[in-house]
Amino acid sequence: MFKLFKDGLHVVKYRTLWLCLSALLLTPGIVAMIYSMINYPTHSPVKVGIDYTGGTIMQYGVQDDVKSSQVGKIRSELEADGVTGTYIQVLNVNPTTENNNIKSIISVRTKFIDEGSKDAETITNVVSKEYKNAELIQVSSVGPTLSSELFKKSFIALFIAILGIIIYVTIRFELKYAVTAIGGLLHDVLFVMGIFSILGLFYNVEVDGLFLTAMLTVIGYSVNDTIVTFDRIRENLRYYGKKMTFSEIVDQSVNQTITRSINTSLTTFLTLAALYFFGGVTTKDFVLAMMLGVIIGTYSSIFFCTMLVDLWEEKKQKKIEQQAA
Amino acid sequence: MKNKIIVFWLIVIIVAVCAFVGYKKPTKLGLDLVGGSRIMLEAKTTDTIQKITPEVMSRLQVAIENRVNKLGVSETTVTTVGDKRLLVEIPNVTDLKEAEAFLGKTALLEFKPPVLDKNGVQKRDEMGQPLWEPAEITGEDLNSAQIGTDQTGQWTVSLEFNGKGATKFAELTQKLVGKPMAIFFDGEEISAPNIREPIFGGRAEISGGASGFKYEEAEKMVNLLNAGALPVPSDIIEENTVGPTLGADSIEKSKFAGLLGVGLVMVFMILMYRLPGVIADISLVIYALILFALFKIIPVTLTLAGIAGFILSVGMAVDANVLIFERTKEELRAGRNLFTAISSGFDRAFTSIFDSNMTTILTCVILYFLGTSVVKGFALTLALGVMVSMFTAITVTRNFMHLVFGTGDLKYPVLFGLSKDEIGKGFDVQETKREKARFGILD
Repeated sequence: MFKLFKDGLHVVKYRTLWLCLSALLLTPGIVAMIYSMINYPTHSPVKVGIDYTGGTIMQYGVQDDVKSSQVGKIRSELEADGVTGTYIQVLNVNPTTENNNIKSIISVRTKFIDEGSKDAETITNVVSKEYKNAELIQVSSVGPTLSSELFKKSFIALFIAILGIIIYVTIRFELKYAVTAIGGLLHDVLFVMGIFSILGLFYNVEVDGLFLTAMLTVIGYSVNDTIVTFDRIRENLRYYGKKMTFSEIVDQSVNQTITRSINTSLTTFLTLAALYFFGGVTTKDFVLAMMLGVIIGTYSSIFFCTMLVDLWEEKKQKKIEQQAA
Repeated sequence: MKNKIIVFWLIVIIVAVCAFVGYKKPTKLGLDLVGGSRIMLEAKTTDTIQKITPEVMSRLQVAIENRVNKLGVSETTVTTVGDKRLLVEIPNVTDLKEAEAFLGKTALLEFKPPVLDKNGVQKRDEMGQPLWEPAEITGEDLNSAQIGTDQTGQWTVSLEFNGKGATKFAELTQKLVGKPMAIFFDGEEISAPNIREPIFGGRAEISGGASGFKYEEAEKMVNLLNAGALPVPSDIIEENTVGPTLGADSIEKSKFAGLLGVGLVMVFMILMYRLPGVIADISLVIYALILFALFKIIPVTLTLAGIAGFILSVGMAVDANVLIFERTKEELRAGRNLFTAISSGFDRAFTSIFDSNMTTILTCVILYFLGTSVVKGFALTLALGVMVSMFTAITVTRNFMHLVFGTGDLKYPVLFGLSKDEIGKGFDVQETKREKARFGILD
């Protein structure tokens, strides 16, 4: 069913093709990230939300169909009432009886509203004046101390995760596999972050604490996929190590595991897609990040990581030959 | 075959127990699903208390608990997080404004001296209510309050002031012997005891007058006093409040998305793997039963992110079965008999399943220890899911496969989604002698 080529897939032979494809996939995202780092006041590669900058978001559900162009009015009214620097977004949702027939969610983001500040009431008043039946459905607030701490913790978590995987794969396999698995992992993380960087630039998609969770899950998933392929290479090496070249074994292993790789990714993707299209609004971006991660993780474990392992082995063989000569 | 049947009945028992637990115990739902407030407070040091010790924290916790309980909402929890933080969780807030009002308010405990006229008699307003001066002593000066008894065995409330408070209290009581002093909590008078003598040393006792306190009265007063006696001020550093509308909506949507996702995976498995796919689907149902029972026993509070973790784990749970079935198909193509193909399919797939799941668990552990509480929920459900799936996808599926297919040759390859002429044409499977012995291969 998934035989892409009649006599199997040639990972090693078309190495340049896969390298170019990866470059093609990654470049737009990397450009967007560099652009963002230069232009955003936070100097972050992606647009970051209140989890990392601190701030307050108040969300109101309204039964009218609000257009994005209408939020300017709310903003100017807020300015008049002394609440400056707000950022307002409108999300359209399907009205149901469960959500009181809410058609749009207006979310107002401001700097962190401290205890005792009247800003929260001002915002509620302005929104309620503009839209009858506006219902405050969610308030999220992150103070400046916590946000910088979250930022630091995120980096530590990412670092420890990568380190842990290197150690685990080195113990179970070899350093060669560990390093290439990490190569694939960085490939996947860069891709997903790149896409979110682009989304941030064009659609104002912001990254929150859940995004980090999605990234770490993508890392786990990506390595998971890669390990299955490597496990097959390891097994085949034991049986055919003397009869076939390393490249042939890599190709054979990829072909033996490709159906599995695609099928498991499909099952995971199906569940995520159900969540994305029918699940709650709050976790949408989180699920999107994981969907992208699953797709790119499958690609990288089939094409990218295996190619890297082969490249590594080839370099090693050349060195041995040179030393012999 | 005998121990296969024993294992089968063990599985049946486990499933029955899990179904019972799942049916009996309610699921704990997170605040983002039922609606409610999560507030993180951070204690701040003051001139008098320059270090936040565990003792200060536990006093702060008691004080905050008392304040939160005044809201009259059931199942509020206050937990200490780290060295200097308190997590306050208030579920089922029907009105977001109510929670907000609570946030803005700092409970104020005040000790007010009376307004005296020239003759030293307390002034009263037109309604005949006694008048009080602005407070000189507040909750900041009070260390704690306890229930005690006096010599006659009556319930009393004893107060302990801190250093600064003790000095102020001594000065005030010296001036006010024989006169009342009122205790206000959030602007409401809770008691106005008479001062019998000057009190030095910062320890005072309030008795309930001639009739004495009832225990409940004394207890209520102690609670209020402690609630007002915040040992250190605290700041809100994080808040998340979800209205009940959004919560109900999220539950409905997650339920639908979850059922749809699981349904799609089940259909996919049957289309891809036929009869083994059906067996994998049965294992998947058992998986969900066990996991939900575990959620209830531990108990895991289900949040939106936790549900996402659960749904993701369903996709990953069949991963092991996909690996195993692909492997079994390969063995069948190579011409192995059924029993051997199934056994070696499981055995050979095991290392990849184990290694790949370990990396997922590894990332979950890191997320659990470094993440925020939202992230923790996700990591916990995903890690539990992966562990349970190792049991269902391997032990349960394997057992069912053997029981259904038995031994002998594969008579109907179509049950595996294979065609007859594929058999015996697979790649050359090679085993070491030891593996041959283990899989029962006879050449």
